[in-house]
Amino acid sequence: MIDLLLHLIEDMLLAAVPAVGFALVFNVPREALKYCALGGALGHGLRWLLINHAHIRIEWATFIAATVVSMVGVYWARKLRAHPKVFTVAAMIPMIPGVYAFTALLALAEIERSGLSDPLLAKAIENGLRTLFIVAGLAVGLAMPGLLFYRRKPLV
Amino acid sequence: MNPSVINESQQRDITVICVRTAIQLMQFSAESVLVESVTRRIGLALGAESVEVALTANGITITTLCGGRSDTTVRRNIDRGINMRTVTEVQRIMLDAEAGHLGIAEVSRRLDDIGSQRYNPWVVSIMIGLSCACFARLAKADLPACALTFVASFIAMTVRHQLAHLNFNPLVNFAIAAFVATSIAAQGLIHNLVEKPQVAMAASVLLLVPGFPLINSVSDMVKGYVNTGLARGMMAVLLCAASCGGILLAMTVWNAWGWIR
Repeated sequence: MIDLLLHLIEDMLLAAVPAVGFALVFNVPREALKYCALGGALGHGLRWLLINHAHIRIEWATFIAATVVSMVGVYWARKLRAHPKVFTVAAMIPMIPGVYAFTALLALAEIERSGLSDPLLAKAIENGLRTLFIVAGLAVGLAMPGLLFYRRKPLV
Repeated sequence: MNPSVINESQQRDITVICVRTAIQLMQFSAESVLVESVTRRIGLALGAESVEVALTANGITITTLCGGRSDTTVRRNIDRGINMRTVTEVQRIMLDAEAGHLGIAEVSRRLDDIGSQRYNPWVVSIMIGLSCACFARLAKADLPACALTFVASFIAMTVRHQLAHLNFNPLVNFAIAAFVATSIAAQGLIHNLVEKPQVAMAASVLLLVPGFPLINSVSDMVKGYVNTGLARGMMAVLLCAASCGGILLAMTVWNAWGWIR
């Protein structure tokens, strides 16, 4: 139990750093940076728990984590008088499937270089599809408050 | 304000405010639904009867309606990266106008006053270096590999800042930054410096993943703005492909194919 908790805390701390780092690139206002860190830690930690201990597939785990962060984000956005996307997108960055995306494209390039083979084709398609599903999970998860509760009225 | 008392010159001012609002939000990568709703709300708050917004990837068309008169204007839209501070400030101006605190002149002045301050580039580069090192650590890399990732992505981010400052095309910029990052990270593979050099190579280019455009693209399309969503998604894919070009070039130059083979 202690072991699980330590792992979870390590995962959350490691996810909070990229959330803030990319928030700086996106020029998120200073007062919203703490929400980026919290959202990043919450989202990635929750996804880690769902994948490793509830044995949910990564796409669905990402979707659930993004939904939870965006729900909390609506509450923070009211306090901040800013649209939730201002900080929730930065909080999603640790969950972006960057390695999958690059692996898919590199495998495509390798097919061109060394000829078509089943393992390479599988690598390209599997990684490409996983990228697509995870990004869709993130984006739809972030849109959930608008789709479920704020159908006709603005969030902020 | 009562729509019937708005004269033609006031209406023109409202139209200009609406289009400036829309262009600021669109250029700095706000999602389409936000661009449209903020623009409409600021126009209505200032007294227009209705505000119609048409968004495309390269231009914005706006029509305001006051007492049966309509006023239309078009602006060219160029992508100027991501800037959430501007998006936040525009939204706050809109909220103040809606609360009735601001008239046409004040809104116009506050739109002029929006600065373009950014965080110190060195701080950003260090944080991005740390971010990529954390990504490496999340992928179970050892500490030397994380350190290598930090160095590679810190330098790549510095290069990216410099090239952006020199007004290079983002695609060229991303390709060169990817080349630099992979070249440095590949040294770990060549000289056997670290335990998992592949992880360092993969993590050090993660600063080039266009996460914001990818998410924006899908959420635009989910909310019915297929047109802008496709344009943004295609741009994100192109940026990824440009980075891949840089990675491939570096792998060829250093003959370090650990990642893919």
